[in-house]
Amino acid sequence: MMDKSTKLKLITDCAECMIRHAEELTALDQAIGDGDHGLNMKRGFEALLADATTLSDKPLPDMLKAIGTQLVMKVGGASGPLYGTLFMALAKEIDEMPTSASACAAFASAIEAVKARGKSELGQKTMLDVLIPVHGVWVADGGVGLALAAKAAADATMPMKAIRGRASFLGDRSIGHMDPGARSSQLLIETITAVLGA
Amino acid sequence: MANVGIVIVSHSAKVAEGAADMVRQMVGDEVPLAWAGGNGDGGLGTDVGQILAAIDAAWSEAGVAILVDLGGAETNSEMAVEMLDDARQKRIVICNAPIVEGAVIAATEASGGSPLDIVKQTAEELYPQ
Amino acid sequence: MTAQKASASLEEIRRGSAELTNAVGLHARPSVKLTQLAKSYQSMISVATEPQGPWIDAKSPVKIMRVKAPKGTTLYFEASGDDAAAAVAALVDLVERRFDEAEEEGHG
Repeated sequence: MMDKSTKLKLITDCAECMIRHAEELTALDQAIGDGDHGLNMKRGFEALLADATTLSDKPLPDMLKAIGTQLVMKVGGASGPLYGTLFMALAKEIDEMPTSASACAAFASAIEAVKARGKSELGQKTMLDVLIPVHGVWVADGGVGLALAAKAAADATMPMKAIRGRASFLGDRSIGHMDPGARSSQLLIETITAVLGA
Repeated sequence: MANVGIVIVSHSAKVAEGAADMVRQMVGDEVPLAWAGGNGDGGLGTDVGQILAAIDAAWSEAGVAILVDLGGAETNSEMAVEMLDDARQKRIVICNAPIVEGAVIAATEASGGSPLDIVKQTAEELYPQ
Repeated sequence: MTAQKASASLEEIRRGSAELTNAVGLHARPSVKLTQLAKSYQSMISVATEPQGPWIDAKSPVKIMRVKAPKGTTLYFEASGDDAAAAVAALVDLVERRFDEAEEEGHG
């Protein structure tokens, strides 16, 4: 199911998407965070792009683990470890030939790992506010409509008040802006589902 | 037996370095000591790569106690610890103590040759129960 | 004041006392020095600010720092163990040396 060319396309498309949206993510983060999310994600995904061929040669779990490690080391900030944890936890649970159901189960445990890492929950204006609803739709509808669910979920972070991370310092002033981590998660989900034709 | 090492992780390079200075001046050189802080561009932040390097620099067979300031420092320290091999992971603790005072107290305890769990326990005595 | 030989008790407790004459008393740096020195001995060592106690573990940096004894306080030491006499003598000496602090350094 997951041949080398698919893996390569996943990595390059995700990387190009993050690089393309770096300024937008930075603008979102300037509104409620420390304004480095776009640049940090761009740096991390540029590193992945440079390694894309090597990464895509690996078995899927190894590839995801290597991506996670790269993101931890290269993205930095708070989002590096959170995205790193997401991919490293996926790597632990996923098999080389995942079905939609097994990938969904791996995604669930990866979400738990991100929750534990960030000590956060649904509704706190973070990337989890995209990941968790998308997982919910995946469970309910078997992998259909994930990109739409991601978009709706990212939009839904706008009225939320941040209580985790740097944005929480703003309190009520964080209301009205989309969470940059939610946006980058949405972009990744859109890209991945497009590549996999889900 | 080597003394437990101390790693200080702050969002601010100046705070981390300053706390390390206090440890050096008040406690002395008998404890391995390293710090990580700042985002590398002069701004606030913590970085897993820097934390890993600090753990390496302060590594001791007796283990390493990490002192952190706010949220991300703890998150990234936990992340760094998880990226190490199992043998090392078992010999690293993150202390639930104020960063500056905790570092001095932990180092004082460590300088007397106390084991890792006692170093952590002493640093954590600082918080009123 | 100097370390006194313990009044011969069964537990071989050694006692000594010294007055804090350094400006800041038993503040952070002196506390660290005191506990570090205490830790270098095997004996059980306690400190008090009154002859009858309450006694505090001299090897606990947190407890010693909480004493916050000001200048002019007399510190009483009790130690039991193989090196008790040497420990008490060394601790009394440390206090009498004003913890080797340069007074002009101010609050320590």
